[in-house]
Amino acid sequence: MHVRFCLFACLLAVPGFAQNGSSAVAIPATISAINSSTPLSQRVVAYNMDAKYDAKVHSLDATETLTYHNLTGQALDTFPFHLYLNAFQPTSTWMREGKREGTRNQDFEKWDPKSYGSEEIRSFEVVGQGDFTSQLQYIHPDDDNKDDRTVMQVHLLKPIPPDGYVQFKIKFHDQFPETLERTGWNRDFVLGGQWFPKVGVWWHGAWNCHQFHAYTEFFADFGVYDVKLTVPQYEVVGASGIEVSSVNNADGTKTVAYHGDDIHDFAWTASPHYRIYDDTFQGSMGPVKLRIMMQPAHWSQVQREARILKQTMDHFDHWYGPYPYKTLTLVDPDPGSQAFGMEYPTFITGGTTWWEPEGLHGNSEETIEHEFGHQYWYGMVATNEFEDAWMDEGINEYTQVKVMDSIFGPSTSVLNLWGATAGEREETRLFYVSVADLDPIAKNGWQYADSNSYGAITYGKTAIVLLTLESVIGEDTMRRAMHTYFLRYRFTHPTKEDFLKTIEEVSGKDLRWYFNQAIYGTQVLDYEVMKLSSVPVDWYKENLKEKMGETEYVDNVWIQRKGDFVMPIDVEIKFDNGDEIRERWDGQDRWVRYGYQKKAKIESVEVDPGHKINFDRNNFNNSQTAEANGGPARKLTNYWTCISQFCAQLLAWWLV
Amino acid sequence: MSEKTNLISAGAEIARRNKRYVIWFYLLNLLLARFGAAAFNDQAHGILDHSLYADKLLHGFDLAVLVELLARPEFGAIPAASHPAMMFAVVFFLASLMFMPGVILGYSSDHRIPREEFFRACGRNVWRFVRLFLLFTIIAGIIGGILFAAFNTLATAADKTSHERLPFFTQLLGGLIIFLFLTVVRIWFDLAQTDVVLRDQSAVRKSIVAGFRKTRRHLGRLLVSYIVIALVALAVLVAGVFLWHAIVPPSSVLGAFIVGEATLLLLLGTRFWQRATVVAFYVKETLEPVAESRPISTFAVPVVP
Repeated sequence: MHVRFCLFACLLAVPGFAQNGSSAVAIPATISAINSSTPLSQRVVAYNMDAKYDAKVHSLDATETLTYHNLTGQALDTFPFHLYLNAFQPTSTWMREGKREGTRNQDFEKWDPKSYGSEEIRSFEVVGQGDFTSQLQYIHPDDDNKDDRTVMQVHLLKPIPPDGYVQFKIKFHDQFPETLERTGWNRDFVLGGQWFPKVGVWWHGAWNCHQFHAYTEFFADFGVYDVKLTVPQYEVVGASGIEVSSVNNADGTKTVAYHGDDIHDFAWTASPHYRIYDDTFQGSMGPVKLRIMMQPAHWSQVQREARILKQTMDHFDHWYGPYPYKTLTLVDPDPGSQAFGMEYPTFITGGTTWWEPEGLHGNSEETIEHEFGHQYWYGMVATNEFEDAWMDEGINEYTQVKVMDSIFGPSTSVLNLWGATAGEREETRLFYVSVADLDPIAKNGWQYADSNSYGAITYGKTAIVLLTLESVIGEDTMRRAMHTYFLRYRFTHPTKEDFLKTIEEVSGKDLRWYFNQAIYGTQVLDYEVMKLSSVPVDWYKENLKEKMGETEYVDNVWIQRKGDFVMPIDVEIKFDNGDEIRERWDGQDRWVRYGYQKKAKIESVEVDPGHKINFDRNNFNNSQTAEANGGPARKLTNYWTCISQFCAQLLAWWLV
Repeated sequence: MSEKTNLISAGAEIARRNKRYVIWFYLLNLLLARFGAAAFNDQAHGILDHSLYADKLLHGFDLAVLVELLARPEFGAIPAASHPAMMFAVVFFLASLMFMPGVILGYSSDHRIPREEFFRACGRNVWRFVRLFLLFTIIAGIIGGILFAAFNTLATAADKTSHERLPFFTQLLGGLIIFLFLTVVRIWFDLAQTDVVLRDQSAVRKSIVAGFRKTRRHLGRLLVSYIVIALVALAVLVAGVFLWHAIVPPSSVLGAFIVGEATLLLLLGTRFWQRATVVAFYVKETLEPVAESRPISTFAVPVVP
């Protein structure tokens, strides 16, 4: 019954012909892949693809029928297309940037022919207007690299009127690289990501179709996908959307059909080795079929992966909104491949090892949480990953901290092993602190100083900025703002101001002073307890004997704002008689002094005693005690000494 | 069985009788490591002593705080702390090279040798030991290099398969085999060192040849002894880490120090135990006749009644 319904949906999605503005061509209103009685997005595109994968040479031949609905409100005569796989060529912009900056742990010291990838258009027809193969042009809107072929453009003979449709019939040939940027093959494994010609997005009155850069991601319109994949019969296949059918062919291949609703990309994977684990998550919009595709050597980890996936989905469902799709596929990619940790609609890749200890949450569990989070911040709230990378990676990093802390505890959400601990919040903060002031958050992804700055700012700083914002508007308000943002902008392409204004609206506060510094600026926050002093009032008397609780002191505390980020802060002063005073400083001046006259000496002073301002660049100078406590340094020195002794013994053991 | 046990227990008895050597070497090891940690200690105290944030390191061990500490510009570059530690590790190695002849002489004696005799042995053999060290480095380097390259090739080949554990187990097996081969080389040179000291052999090549012959002839016995003691060392290390983790509270600086140092003392002791085993073997070998004379057989003349 279910399969028959899906086949019907596929038939709907294959228009028999296409013509400009014809009512006979339409984007299908299918709902078989979602737990909803109506389409969820404004569907702009319908992709119908039939692809055959040659596992021996890692190449693919396919036909693509793309139906485009012109909802731009104006006639369109030009259409740009992404050809992402052309990035994996020595002279492409992606490779040049990768060579310059390094990307995903690869420095491209030497060109490896296995890194070659291509997306070659064999024919390009505009239905009703003829063959345009010879008229395709490669364009490079972001730089002057004439050798870059990741974006092509076609000029139509007749423009497509507003609300009209156009159909493109494209034949193309892909050569996958050995996994790069989460696409390609490794041994007998393949992950097909960004593998088909994909039309750009008409956004704010212009085409938005950037070249593929070394550390930016993607941007596309919502629509319907119907994809048939023909692969050798021994392959185990997984893909975005729901599986509609699987038919064995006489030539030893099989054709697996998939259908996806209200998604903006389609990825797939195949390997003869996958072991499948099926499970179900009961979401607030209906059941979600979970399919975990594990490497056999990792099978011992499958329950752990299923557990974190369901816990994450549950948190997102409760905190931000429902997951409306009927499936989610989690792929454990081939070990050693560069395919781990990636998100596609209803399809994510994790990455684990067979030996991973339970106390280590910062690898596979963190990755699964993060990639599932992208189903919301990228998948449904489909921001422009080229221009606003922070809105998917950074917001997702923020929710990752919240979810992981909730599941594993704030101080142990990354590591809780053999007495050593680490939390998501601190890990993220350290990421930010490593390159704190090189670039603002609001910047085109490919224009960051380098890949470190891109990572530290888009992921780390954004998360830290939002965590710190909780101290200004409150944690509950922040969660409500995120919930509102998700519900309001899911299945759309919001801008940075859409997000910021939602927070201001929900919190009822003007937060421009904060956003201007944190989002649009490069200011760094660093408060310091400069010094403290407790001087007896009767200091001038000879033979003065100080007595605790009796001697009166003039106590002073100096706080300095060392950074250029201005933010009100709390200061807590503790006295040796147990008294505590809390001050609020607006931080406008460079420094402030607080003075008291009490029968007590200052014991300690701490800036931000609630530890809510995660933005501070240096946590060590946020407090000062009157008395030194050598314990922490002694402990570290002992560890250091032990390690040195052990190394010296090993050296002497073997050589003497 | 009894012979092997005897060798190990004989070595243990010698090491126990001369435990002062282990203690002196341990104190030297600790002292040099403390010198090496002085820069680290100063840097850490400067940042942590007056900061409440440092408490996360004392009552627990928050790795993020440690990473932040190491990343602070005022802490200084990591090499500023690690280079002195490495330098003093090399000093400990050189001291071991210099004083080991005295230890071997002491182990061979059934009474406590006078201090002058200890240092005389050290002085007389220092260049011989340097030469032995250089030759050991060359031979162990060649054998280790060949084996490492071979197993690396195997691991690379295993990595091309889709069996993720195969490269790991290939490397593990390779590591164990390399360990065994290098242990054999170590036994060989431990015997050569013993020969140099106890025979006052200035031509170290003769001792190397003698050590090689003895190793080849008694390989099984000696290797088992070394492996058993190495396993004891591993057990000591595991037990030390377990005790540190299970018993010592995170805030107990003294407790961690005592457990850590006790573990390191025992670890050092196991290496001296190996040396004592070789000395016991060597002494026994040189005292025993190489080949026992067989009684001359005679044929009885039959008596005809």
